[in-house]
Amino acid sequence: MAEVEEQLPLSPQDGGRGECGEEPSDGGAAVGVAEAVPPSAGSPVTEEPAEDTKKKIDVLLKAVGDTPIMKTKKWSVERTRTIQGLVDFIKKFLKLVASEQLFIYVNQSFAPSPDQEVGTLYECFGSDGKLVLHYCKSQAWG
Amino acid sequence: MTDDKDVLRDVWFGRIPTCFTLYQDEITEREAEPYYLLLPRISYLTLVTDKVKKHFQKVMRQEDVTEIWFEYEGTPLKWHFPIGLLFDLHASNTALPWNITVHFKNFPEKDLLHCTSKDVIEAHFMACVKEADALKHKSQVINEMQKKDHKQLWMGLQNDKFDQFWAINRKLMEYPPEDSGFRYIPFRIYQVTTERPFIQKLFRPVATNGQLNTLGDLLKEVYPAAITPEDGEKKNQVMVHGIEPMLETPVQWLSEHMSYPDNFLHISIIPQPTD
Repeated sequence: MAEVEEQLPLSPQDGGRGECGEEPSDGGAAVGVAEAVPPSAGSPVTEEPAEDTKKKIDVLLKAVGDTPIMKTKKWSVERTRTIQGLVDFIKKFLKLVASEQLFIYVNQSFAPSPDQEVGTLYECFGSDGKLVLHYCKSQAWG
Repeated sequence: MTDDKDVLRDVWFGRIPTCFTLYQDEITEREAEPYYLLLPRISYLTLVTDKVKKHFQKVMRQEDVTEIWFEYEGTPLKWHFPIGLLFDLHASNTALPWNITVHFKNFPEKDLLHCTSKDVIEAHFMACVKEADALKHKSQVINEMQKKDHKQLWMGLQNDKFDQFWAINRKLMEYPPEDSGFRYIPFRIYQVTTERPFIQKLFRPVATNGQLNTLGDLLKEVYPAAITPEDGEKKNQVMVHGIEPMLETPVQWLSEHMSYPDNFLHISIIPQPTD
């Protein structure tokens, strides 16, 4: 299985060192947005600035069933990171065999497409300043 | 006066005349004739091309055949995007038939997801339906349904059965009487020229003042560059199912009547053709 050439793009939030050399983001204190709220229609129109796609979003990974639990659960992830990228990272972190399946769920209700960007999922399904994702070695919610 | 329900049928039965040609570098034992097919706009490439695969496999050796994939003018076509979206995005302003090239080798791992069986398509389709309902109803409607109802949605799509599909899908198009629409509208905006795969954001069908938000309001909010300025030249077409809906159309109406079977409004922004 080919090694990922780029640095693992996730940086841990609470102390634990991931396999990447990136620095943990500060604190991990959630910015107090109760739920992702869209701007009301009529608010100032903005073209999304280029920096937004470089910004990172906070992801909280939760294990389902008897799937091994990640020692570090909170991660800062680039918005453009895909679900497949996240799956590969978790598998590596948990030392799972590449051929083992890993399913990721949003809102404990749907499994996003492997090419889905976490930034978009965060925009639509994030809450309390983070995106909660459940991961499982078998299908949990179909 | 046309009933709104007629729109549902028009969307469901939309077809694109397509010509499939085998890639010239594929090794064949005989000349491969092109294969013509009317593709349903609302379906997925790998769901409706069994006959295409059989046709070309007849002139190839078994060992030269690996996973089929499709390409248009050098661009691999994502099977997990609905056919109508792929056509609108890449070929809507070109002459028919749509010319698609068929490959059996060199699967482009970076561009395409694998599709090893119909189960993969079903899983993808249902995940989209669930995501759409998460936005529309906090997943309440889809979760209240039984597994057999979910299966009926898939079977209706797979077997091109409008009534079978809509018997269940109509429930996903309902909303509480005290509301004027869904919680948020499931939509995705695509453009060939950008790096990002698509734009998807939270957007309410009703404004705070109670007025219905329109397609124009949606674009102003999430992709203002797509709208023609007052005195400017029209640079883009905003296309759904091969037509340009009026920007005054309420998005709630569009969501109920012009979504794809996955319950998403897939919108293409394409360059205005210069006649």
